[in-house]
Amino acid sequence: MPDNWGFVAAAYGLTAVALLIYWRRLAKKERELEALRRLKAPRS
Amino acid sequence: MSYARRALAVAWKDLAVERRSKETLNALIFFSLLLLFVFQFTLGGDRERLAAVLPGVLWLGFVLSALLALGRTFLVEREHDCWEGLLLAPGDKSAIYLGKLAGNLALMLVVEALVLGLFAVFFDIDLGRALPGLVVVVLLGTLGLAAVGTLFAGMTANVRARELLFPVLLLPVQVPVLLATVKATEALLLGEPLAAVGHWVKLLAAADVVYLAVSLLTFDVVLEG
Amino acid sequence: MVKTLGWLAAASVAAGLVMAFGVAPREVTQGNVQRIMYVHVPLILASYLAFVVLALASLVYLVRRDEAADRVAHASGEVGVMFVGLGIATGSIWGKPTWGTWWTWDARLTSVAILFVMYLGYLLLRGTIEDRERAARYCAVLGIVAALDIPLVHFSVYWWRTLHQPPSLMKPGGFTGSSSILWPLLVNLIAFVLLYAYFVARRVRLLRAEAEAVA
Repeated sequence: MPDNWGFVAAAYGLTAVALLIYWRRLAKKERELEALRRLKAPRS
Repeated sequence: MSYARRALAVAWKDLAVERRSKETLNALIFFSLLLLFVFQFTLGGDRERLAAVLPGVLWLGFVLSALLALGRTFLVEREHDCWEGLLLAPGDKSAIYLGKLAGNLALMLVVEALVLGLFAVFFDIDLGRALPGLVVVVLLGTLGLAAVGTLFAGMTANVRARELLFPVLLLPVQVPVLLATVKATEALLLGEPLAAVGHWVKLLAAADVVYLAVSLLTFDVVLEG
Repeated sequence: MVKTLGWLAAASVAAGLVMAFGVAPREVTQGNVQRIMYVHVPLILASYLAFVVLALASLVYLVRRDEAADRVAHASGEVGVMFVGLGIATGSIWGKPTWGTWWTWDARLTSVAILFVMYLGYLLLRGTIEDRERAARYCAVLGIVAALDIPLVHFSVYWWRTLHQPPSLMKPGGFTGSSSILWPLLVNLIAFVLLYAYFVARRVRLLRAEAEAVA
């Protein structure tokens, strides 16, 4: 029975990429929000 | 004004408006005729294939008409700037829901009866024995569609991309109703008795109870000011 | 708290990978392609958890109008849809070499596909309503309708596929439940549940910050 490692890689790869993209989206929004907060209430 | 009278007032007003303008009714009838013709052009020659596909196409017609009718549930209020009036109405807002539901049901059942009749005539289908069972299935199925449809119509009435969002929200939720009605209709048209599709009928009844209960309980939330 | 969850999740994902590729044996009938199950099953199960949390949070919001509950529902919906989408995709990728087809309309796949579209609609509703409070209310109602619909979907689809149907339905070359497969599966399940919790926690924190920024 052929092992189809390509499919395994595709499945794991897709999952990893999708989760990473979501993670980075969260981080980016957090950075933007932090920048906005700094602008509104500058610390001395 | 008592609860029941308020509900009836809403239904009566909607039906009166519809009777005068006949906008929705005409659109639905025209649409059903279109479906009939397309069905004939694609499958008219092949009697067997036609019979096999008929239940699905029939309910496809019912559902698409339902989308049209239900989507317009609050059209009058929206167009004539009466939406605020709905929000400010005193008392239990679920009376409005029931009124709208009754109006939608009446409209949908009229169109469905018409479509069924037209299909029977133009495709020479003997409805005789199946009719009582069909009536039960169509009633239960339409109630299910209308119950959730009226609720979702309220939710999407004032939302961007309403025409797109409404079917997107309604159809996945209605899959059980669609499956049950199509499979039951299929069996009934093949000559099986209503008892043979008892499980589908029970599912439809259960679905109707759930949908009605949730809608009645949450419609107030949807129409909060 | 979010950070701890994050590190925990990362650690368990690492452990999961080790289990999936190092510890788990090569499956007898399917070969190594069966290892996809160690992401596919946890993704689907974790998404079920997400939707249960969504339903509960929606109920809490409707009763108590607590914005925190709404944020949990929102975040859970996002992560849930992502997980179930990935679950469907990985299942499909597994299915091609195993069943010979990317998709089949059997009971389980059909039900999960309906689930995916339902909750995608939930996210669409969220995205379409600008007013935060109205979005919270409407989505809570939708969340409850969807949750109540799930048993109806399950039964209708199951009956559709099994009644009056020849018994030779394709079934996935499923688990024979040997423990050498069970442990890697459990570890990966814990990993994905922790991932879910981490993402939800982080998203909720972001949502709260967004709400405060507007206030």
